Amino acid sequence: MIERIRVALAPRQTVHAHCDIPCGVYDPQQARIEAESCYKIIQKYHDSNDEVFRARAIHVKEERAELTKHHIDVMWHDYFKPEHVEKFPDLHEVCWKAAKQASQVKRTVDLDEAQKLLDLIDKIDHMWRETGGAQTTRMQQLQAVG
Amino acid sequence: MRRPGLSLGAVLFVAASVALAPLLAQFRRSWPWRVTVEGHSMEPTLRAGDWLLVDPLAYGRRTPQVGELIVARDPRLPARWLVKRVAAVDRQGRLTLAGDHPSHRQDDLPAVERQFVVGRPWLRYWPPGRIGRLT
Repeated sequence: MIERIRVALAPRQTVHAHCDIPCGVYDPQQARIEAESCYKIIQKYHDSNDEVFRARAIHVKEERAELTKHHIDVMWHDYFKPEHVEKFPDLHEVCWKAAKQASQVKRTVDLDEAQKLLDLIDKIDHMWRETGGAQTTRMQQLQAVG
Repeated sequence: MRRPGLSLGAVLFVAASVALAPLLAQFRRSWPWRVTVEGHSMEPTLRAGDWLLVDPLAYGRRTPQVGELIVARDPRLPARWLVKRVAAVDRQGRLTLAGDHPSHRQDDLPAVERQFVVGRPWLRYWPPGRIGRLT
């Protein structure tokens, strides 16, 4: 039902609000935090008997999963370069699986699926660190945080 | 006995219709111009995935003012539509556009001619939690 309403209301055009000077800041932590939200929300969903809360949990989880997918896509399309693929031949495979897994988390309340998503994001994080992402794309004083 | 047509309900109905007519008209002309936002340069005002209505007549008779939201064609690639905020207007009515996001302010867009203006985004109608007028 909700899906049918969404289709009827769906926009006809995309308007772009991209940075016209790419800021060059990339960090898989953005995806990781959204994916952790999904994980925790699924836990809370299973701990609750309140139908309203459970409905809200699903709604929020779907939003967070969509954001996770977006942040994975940004890493994949914007951060990684051809030389990184040479270093990590499975780079495309990992990013693709991670984006797919975010979709999977969107449609399920299975905690294992959320854990798989976190593991895949950690693989992206590993590639990001090994290709110098932490040094080249984050500002100096913030490195200790990552 | 009350005369028909003059009941309080009827009066209220007419008053409400008169008050809401401009809003309904704006809604009707904007409905075909519904758009979705992509990118982050307009945060926190607009988020990626927001669905907006764009009024195609808002800037028909007047020049957009500094600080107003705008949808305009990208001068470098007219098939692409941008959503930005008016940062400056020169004497010829050309617009300088910029994003709201603090780290994306220094946009490098060429000035936008008036004929590239599409309209004014004025209402966010999705997601349900953040429905409302835009300023």
